[in-house]
Amino acid sequence: MTVALEDLLKMSAAEIWAHNERLTAEQLRNKEQTYYDDIEEGMELPKYIYRPTPTHLFRWSAAIENFHRIHYDLDFGLNHDKNPSILVHGSWKQSVVPQYLKDWTLPKGWPWKARFEHRAMLVPGDVLIMWGKVTNKYEKGGMGFIDLDIGMMTQDSVESMPGSATVVLPIRGGADIPYPFVPPAD
Amino acid sequence: MTQETQSAITPEVKAMIGVAGDVVESWGVVDAEYLRRFTQAVMDPDPRYWDEEFAKSTPYGEIITPPIMVSYMASRNPPNAEDPITKAFEEDPMSDGIGRVERLGSLPRVPTDLVRVLNAGNELEIYQYPSIGDKIFFQNRYSDIRERVGRDGKPFLIVTTETTYRNQKEEVLCITRASSIRR
Repeated sequence: MTVALEDLLKMSAAEIWAHNERLTAEQLRNKEQTYYDDIEEGMELPKYIYRPTPTHLFRWSAAIENFHRIHYDLDFGLNHDKNPSILVHGSWKQSVVPQYLKDWTLPKGWPWKARFEHRAMLVPGDVLIMWGKVTNKYEKGGMGFIDLDIGMMTQDSVESMPGSATVVLPIRGGADIPYPFVPPAD
Repeated sequence: MTQETQSAITPEVKAMIGVAGDVVESWGVVDAEYLRRFTQAVMDPDPRYWDEEFAKSTPYGEIITPPIMVSYMASRNPPNAEDPITKAFEEDPMSDGIGRVERLGSLPRVPTDLVRVLNAGNELEIYQYPSIGDKIFFQNRYSDIRERVGRDGKPFLIVTTETTYRNQKEEVLCITRASSIRR
């Protein structure tokens, strides 16, 4: 069972890291379905912990061909843009969100939609906690919809990406979620 | 004497809501090498991205790619295009590395004197995972422009740009919305 976010934030950075629940390839391959029926309001999702280094940031910049110097040129970041260090990319955080929702809904659910804001500058050395919490559940068109609060919190309890999401889970004994996903008509 | 604060959402600004850019075909196709680099950089080891046999057993029936990966692929610079980095530093030796290069499919500028731009947030809607070999087409649109008033009493704008990504079969893969504050 995942550690509550509230409890995680009382821990040291090293202790937080020890509670990382990011799934390995084998865990993703063999993941058992979470069903709509098993979800309760207030339930917390597993915590994905990240400790980005300058090398992680450089790899992301190169992968998506984002050449903005604030992400890899420390001298430019400090002296030109007056940032505290090189900055973790908003685009990387944005890309963690669908991964996080995908992993939780696998193998037959669907990570339908998310919205979030970018509020804090994140830098190498920060310990980042991707979290989610169930706020509502409802059935529609034979599918189970789950509303979530989501975010990416630092070890210092700074919420850098407050947001919300809606995912779809199968109902035990119910129909498959259509793929490509088609939301039910209102 | 008090001075009346002028609204930032002028008729010219309001007229930009709904304005759409051209449908642009991204350079290249969704490919396994870009997928490998992307998933390693986002740190997602999911075998659905690389194990063809396993992927066949999933509801998708094939290797999938992360849904919004195509939004980054859309900004790949074609090999026959001008080098944007060299151009940026020729224009400004202290360039931030991205310069003022206009990207394909860019929307016309919102006619406002508010020039400071801040990221206000993002939205994602996901409908289908792109497949290896897909051609990606995208179109930008100003989906919303709203006025707010800051704590200093000055009006500012929140401009939302919606981008729809489709494959060669015109199926919607995902829709992203990026909101920016113009102060």
